[in-house]
Amino acid sequence: MTTTLIVSNVLLWIAVMVLLVAVMALARQIGILYERVAPMGALMMDSGPKVGDPALQIELPSLTGGSVKLGAHGPRSTLVFFLSPTCPVCKKLLPILDSVRRAESSWLNVVLASDGDTTEHVGFIERAGLQSFPYVVSAQLGMHYRVSKLPYALLTDEHGQIAAKGLVNSREQLESLFAARDLGVASVQAYLDEPHLHKEHA
Amino acid sequence: MSLPMLDPVLAHTAAAALSAILLIGAVQKLSTLATFTETLAQYQLLPESALRPVAWLFPLAEAVAGTLLLVQESRSAGMAMAMLVLLLATAAVAINVRRGRTHFDCGCGTGSHTPVGWSLVARNAVLLGLLLVCGLPQLERATTWLDAFSVLSGTVFLLGTYLTVNTLLANAPRLAHLRKSL
Repeated sequence: MTTTLIVSNVLLWIAVMVLLVAVMALARQIGILYERVAPMGALMMDSGPKVGDPALQIELPSLTGGSVKLGAHGPRSTLVFFLSPTCPVCKKLLPILDSVRRAESSWLNVVLASDGDTTEHVGFIERAGLQSFPYVVSAQLGMHYRVSKLPYALLTDEHGQIAAKGLVNSREQLESLFAARDLGVASVQAYLDEPHLHKEHA
Repeated sequence: MSLPMLDPVLAHTAAAALSAILLIGAVQKLSTLATFTETLAQYQLLPESALRPVAWLFPLAEAVAGTLLLVQESRSAGMAMAMLVLLLATAAVAINVRRGRTHFDCGCGTGSHTPVGWSLVARNAVLLGLLLVCGLPQLERATTWLDAFSVLSGTVFLLGTYLTVNTLLANAPRLAHLRKSL
């Protein structure tokens, strides 16, 4: 009788463990699913310099020639788009970024930024036809702004201050950065949290 | 009124699970110290000069509490320490929720970006309850290999449940965003 109970107990524990693993995997998969389908994607971890803070002043060589000054005072605003050759959403956004650059060319410079191995990026620029964009590779830049998820965009204004920043997964979110700048709200997320604005934009 | 006598398996399981939770949290915080310092700043409770020392001390206290809990001889000291760590963390979360600041990662150190909120306070309350379970007077009985197996399985189960709850808490704001946008 005791042996019977022991066997059944051990069997039940094994079953519980299997189910536990399944539940953990499901919860994680649902999280990934939300990230992919939600308009905002992941929760922005609001770390790093805040909106209104001075941007990092740095001059970096561009892989497409010349050098790029970031965070400087000047007549034009700058959109720094953080991407990686291995991020599918970034690739999806590239044509959108190109059209945004054309549409806003009167006041906006668009700079692509990434980190890691330069040769990989050179190949990526070739494949994706990014020769017309300034393209900088700097780990310091990403670290400074605490870019943890891609694609991430950072808008600095003509005073060299951070105007808006956040994770961007679509044209709407990219444009909402400009709206965020105009409205003076902190991020895409803060923007989307405003219920009336959100309806307009949905 | 006397407290209920608790089977040693339950007490050991609760202590081992809490110990594992504290130790995992400590290791994660210490391995990403810069991020944790940034998270502490987000809580807006400490002056800037205190951020770096506290970013060290808090996970260290967690690690000490976790280690003390693991050994039966030092369990009561570990319980006191764990109680202190949990109450401090929960108070910090509760103050920020009261302030309406919920859009940042709690820095709990389980990998998932669990946001600050009342659900996090509730989770910590459950952990505190688990801590109290270790403190109940234990039944004296001889234990066998099957008890050890139960403690091991129970610990893994509680730890897995804790991680699942964290993942679900991290998912909650994403789901809320999705609901709002539909």
